[in-house]
Amino acid sequence: MGEKIMQRQDDVQKRGAEARQLLGAQPQVTEELLRKIERAREIDEWRRGAKPLGERLDEHRCVAAQTSPVTLIAADGSQIFPDRHAITTYYLVNTGTIVLRKGSGLAPATDSAPEIHFEDDDVYDDEGQLVSNEDISLMRSRREIEALARLAEQEREALGGDLSTPIVALVDGPLLPWLRPDPQRSDKINEEIDFVIAQLARLRKAHAIPIGYVDRPGSAFTLRILELLNLPIEKITREALRRGRFIGLTDRVLFKDLAPNERTGLFTPYTNANDRYQARSDGDRVAFAYLNVAHVDRGERSVIARIEMPGWVASRPDWLDAAQAAIYANCEPTAYPYVLARAHELAVVTQGDKAELDSLLMQVMLRNGMVPEISVKASNKLLTGRTSGR
Amino acid sequence: MDEQIPVGRVLRASTSAFTVGCRQLIAEQDLMTPKLGALLKATGRNGRVVYGLTCNVTIEDDAFVRQLVAAGVESAEIIEDQRQKRQVPIVVEVIIVGHGDENAVFHRLPPQPPRTLDEIHTCNNAEWVRFTERHDWIRLLLPAIDAPVDQIIVAALRMASEARPSRLEREQYLISAGRELARLLALDLTRLDGILRQLR
Repeated sequence: MGEKIMQRQDDVQKRGAEARQLLGAQPQVTEELLRKIERAREIDEWRRGAKPLGERLDEHRCVAAQTSPVTLIAADGSQIFPDRHAITTYYLVNTGTIVLRKGSGLAPATDSAPEIHFEDDDVYDDEGQLVSNEDISLMRSRREIEALARLAEQEREALGGDLSTPIVALVDGPLLPWLRPDPQRSDKINEEIDFVIAQLARLRKAHAIPIGYVDRPGSAFTLRILELLNLPIEKITREALRRGRFIGLTDRVLFKDLAPNERTGLFTPYTNANDRYQARSDGDRVAFAYLNVAHVDRGERSVIARIEMPGWVASRPDWLDAAQAAIYANCEPTAYPYVLARAHELAVVTQGDKAELDSLLMQVMLRNGMVPEISVKASNKLLTGRTSGR
Repeated sequence: MDEQIPVGRVLRASTSAFTVGCRQLIAEQDLMTPKLGALLKATGRNGRVVYGLTCNVTIEDDAFVRQLVAAGVESAEIIEDQRQKRQVPIVVEVIIVGHGDENAVFHRLPPQPPRTLDEIHTCNNAEWVRFTERHDWIRLLLPAIDAPVDQIIVAALRMASEARPSRLEREQYLISAGRELARLLALDLTRLDGILRQLR
C-alpha cells in the first residue's frame, strides 16, 4: 500500500507540474476555448467543467489587509438522523450561528438552535416511509441559509442601514445545496433551489455578501478546461473527455503557487444545481474562485479554499475584495474561517449529546408508563461495542 | 462577602478534600470563582454542612484554545469569544477544615465526605465569623501536604479578619490567630516567621 501511495504521489506531482506548465503557456481565454467549453458541455452534460469569467485562466488578485470594520456571520448545522432501531423515532437538527463584529472589540453573538421532530407527520412521509437522511440534510441546509439571511437583516438594521460596514455571510460548503439529480424529484429540487433564491434575495437586500466556503476542495473545474486546450474541437467526444489527461487531480495542484491572500480569477461551474439556479433566478449563476488563506508569517504552505458566491456578488469587485480580505483575516488563527469553526462547534451534536438525549427520552417514556426498548440488532451492537456503521 | 455565591457542584470527594466543577464562563471568573483560601460549604442531607478552604483553582484548556495560543491570536473579538462564550471548565480544589449544622461547628474532619453533585457555595461574612470564632481549623490545615498551606492560612486569616465589622475586632482577631500560630509552630520558627510576615 505504501508503494502504491508513493507511486500515486509521484504521478500527481508529475501531472500537476504538466498542468501548471500548460496553464502558464496558454493562459488566454480565447473565443475558440469558449467554443470548446460549450461543445464539451453539449456532449457530456454531467462533466463538471466550468466557464472562465475573465480574460485569462491564470488571473491572480491580492487585496489589502483588512483593517476597517466588517461583520462576519456564519451558520452551520448538524443533525441526528432517525434510527428505526432506537427507543423511539425522532430526528434532530441543530443550527449554530455566530455574528462577529470585527473592529468592535466585543465578544461575538452566538446561538445554538436545536429542533427535535417526533410527530408522525414530521417523521414519516405521505407514503408512510421514514423521512430520508437526504431530506433532513436539506432541512439543515435550509436552516443555515435562512439563519444567515435573518442575521444579516438584523445586523444591517442594527447598523442603522449604514452600508459602509460590509457584512460577509459564510456557509460551510457550496453555496447551493447538493441535490441528487433525480427526475422523479424535480419539483422537490426546484423547491429547494427556490428557497435558496429567496434567502439570497434577502441577503442581497441587506447588502450582505453570501459566500460558500469549501475547505480543501476536491473540484477540478479548471483542470477540465485545461484538458480542452490542446484537443481540437472536432475531436471532442464523450470518450476523449472521460480520458482527460488530468483525471484524478484537483484544482489545488494547479493553484498551489497562489500567494497568501491571493485569489484566482472567477469561473462559473457547470453543475445541475447551478443550471437550475440560473433558470429560476432570472439568469444569475453562482461563480467561484480559489483563495490561498495560508498566513506566511506562520510558515504555512498554501491552504487553498474555494469560495463561491452568487453572480450578483461576482460582478461587484469591491464586494468580492471586501469578502476576501475579511475571510483571509478571519483565517489567521486556524487557516480556516474562525467563525465557521465556531458555528460548527455550536452546531455539532456528538455521540455523547445523542446518548444524553436518548437517556432523557427514556426517562420521559418510563414516567409515562412506557417501556423503552431498542431493537435486538442495536442491543447486540451495544454488547459488542460496535455502534457505528450500518 | 455578604452573599453566598454558588460556585459549582462536587465532582469527587474524600473525607479530607473535595473537587468542585464550575459551570461558568471565564468572563464571570472574577465574580464566581472563589479566591485562594476562601471558605466554601457543601450542604448535604439533613442540613449537614462540610466546610473547606480553596487550595487550588485550575482553568482547563482544550485543543482549540491551544491552537489559538500557538497561532498568537491578536484579535480582541476572538479572545473575548473564547473568554465569554465558550464553556472552558474551571476546577476548584478544596481542603476540608470542618463540618457542622445549624447548632454547632466542629473543626475536625467530617464522618462522611460531601456527595457527588452536592452544591457548593461561598460563605458570607456571618458564616466566616461563626466558623473562625475558634482557631482549631488552623491545626487541621497545618499538616496538609500537596497544597500551599502557609499561603492558604494567610489568605484565610485575611478574609476572616475582613469579615468582622469593626477595625478593633479585625485587629483583635489577627492578634489572637497569630498567638495560636505561635503556639502551633513553636518548634518551627522559620515557618512561623514566614506566615506572620505575610500577614502584616
